[in-house]
Amino acid sequence: MQMTYLQAVAAALREEMQRDDKIIMFGEDIAEFGNIFGVTRGFLEEFGPKRIRNTPISETAIVGTALGAAVTGFRPVAELMYADFTMVAFTEIFHCVSKWRFMHGADYKLPMVIRCAMGSSFGAGSEHSNCVESLFMHAPGLTIISPSTPADAKGLLKSAIRSDNPILFCEHKQLYQTKGEVPEGDYTIPIGVADVKRPGKDVTVIAVGLMVRRALEAAEKLEKEGISIEVIDPRTIAPFDKETVFESIRKTHHAIIVEESNKTAGIGAELAAMLQEEMYDELDGPVGRVAALDVPMPYNITLEKHVIPDADDIAKAVRAQLARSL
Amino acid sequence: MQYTADFLKKVYRDLLSIRFFEEKQVELYAAGRIPGHIHSGIGEEAGVTGVLTTRKEGDFFKISHRPVGAGVIIGAPLETMFAEIMGRVGGNALGMGGVLHMTCREKGMIGFSGTLGCDAAAAVGAGLTIQMNETDNVSYVFYGDGTSNRGPLHEAMNLAAIWKLPVLFVCNNNQFAISTPSSYSSAVPNPGADRAAAYGMPSKTVDATDVVAVYEAAKELVDGIRAGNGPAVLECKMYRVRGHFEGDQAKYRDAAVTEEWKKKDCVLKMEKKLVDEGVMTAEEIEALRAEVLAEMEAAIDAADKSPEPTPEDLYRNLYV
Repeated sequence: MQMTYLQAVAAALREEMQRDDKIIMFGEDIAEFGNIFGVTRGFLEEFGPKRIRNTPISETAIVGTALGAAVTGFRPVAELMYADFTMVAFTEIFHCVSKWRFMHGADYKLPMVIRCAMGSSFGAGSEHSNCVESLFMHAPGLTIISPSTPADAKGLLKSAIRSDNPILFCEHKQLYQTKGEVPEGDYTIPIGVADVKRPGKDVTVIAVGLMVRRALEAAEKLEKEGISIEVIDPRTIAPFDKETVFESIRKTHHAIIVEESNKTAGIGAELAAMLQEEMYDELDGPVGRVAALDVPMPYNITLEKHVIPDADDIAKAVRAQLARSL
Repeated sequence: MQYTADFLKKVYRDLLSIRFFEEKQVELYAAGRIPGHIHSGIGEEAGVTGVLTTRKEGDFFKISHRPVGAGVIIGAPLETMFAEIMGRVGGNALGMGGVLHMTCREKGMIGFSGTLGCDAAAAVGAGLTIQMNETDNVSYVFYGDGTSNRGPLHEAMNLAAIWKLPVLFVCNNNQFAISTPSSYSSAVPNPGADRAAAYGMPSKTVDATDVVAVYEAAKELVDGIRAGNGPAVLECKMYRVRGHFEGDQAKYRDAAVTEEWKKKDCVLKMEKKLVDEGVMTAEEIEALRAEVLAEMEAAIDAADKSPEPTPEDLYRNLYV
């Protein structure tokens, strides 16, 4: 059935809460207001005030409380509203959540999900537009999920809620209103498995979040020029599914990484380094990176568009990559 | 209050167990058998002992870095604790966590963080679990006067208060955060208790050189929490007898004051009380000391037989 990404996220949360009463949710403005984007509208009425709780503006306490509830038998889904606010609770996520089981032992499972809404959204400015995956890739122990379609969002969120590992679940604000086909009934999508969104033979394009759609747009443009790109959506940023990407590169011998956050020390930086270490003999050229300019996100809409990669930027990078290896 | 001899003996034994655990740490560290740093809690044992005497089955505990020996009386196996502190695979975290993470989930210990304060809300989460389960249990969280100035602690306190969660915040005020005296770092004389009013919580301060007094103060607050009245703050007044870490000469403070506090030592005070009240004879005390010490030594010997972790062990607890 067709549904929006936002509806898919809400459906995953609702179905999981119906299935397991150990699942509780808390965060800023999620109860009566139903979350600022409307994701949890109606949840308070359906699940009651014990399981659906508003919090004060207290990000460190939201994350810490989720940790404590998780280690003592519940399966909390904590909401941090804007992904930018993960920074407020960086210590709690980086030092505590990610390392808790490693530091304390096998009994210390943390079945918890931290949900946040990330990415640009038309003039949200420097503090409400960040994509944060790369900041947390430096935290072994943390699973990072960043879905790009309604079907992936629903299936992966269900897997995240059922997982005994702590998970940072990044929903893209610009994707909330996008529609897609979602399977009927209860289904999950495995964590740590990438998806080939479009098969191709000339260049492997690894794109994340909103950039998956832009890479697919680029693929349409390039097809008219006789260039075939394979678009891979890792879906789970950490742990990263290397094998799907390696298999693609063995076919295309070219790789480009597309992300919405700043280029420096971004997802692309890590993946490019990893690919040159592990796939050097298969590559016919340097691994390309298409990313946001290294500036804070501007408020001005024209400049916001300029800073973030679009389909033309991706197509240009693909052409340059192929031209270089001729 | 009148107490039975068994009760007082049990409290004394717990107090002694933490004292010897803390002393053994210092000894092992001096002998180069512990990596990293240790933070001796010698002189501070009555705070945790008195408070934890109010505990019951099903309670949760978030201890702090001083005294880490608190786990001994909660029931963390001694051998496992020593193995963890010595960095051996027989430790609860395979020797990966170390002195700040000796813990036991089975006994209700939820773990703790070396980044002080950022784990306070973990105890609030344990309190949320208790509230969801509708039991009369308590989540105990220990922190110090230094941590009392950290933001995450205040977010945790506020959340516990508005949700009326069963959490006892215990501020072990040993008067120093490394070299910084509490009188400098907090604008109020009682950095634990005086902040409780900001969150509508009841509070008490207590002389934590007297383990029975700590128990009584804690019991009053814990009874209220178990009755469903929401969180409370207990501030235990004590003194950090040793440096922040072993090797810290504590030259930033008046050694004469330290000597004065040593005379008020909580273990000596309890022993005097037991003898004065005819609960134990000096010989019985000596015998119990020898018994507890022997337990520590046996656990250390057993822990020492545990091998070093291997590189493969690094990945065992990273992901489920």
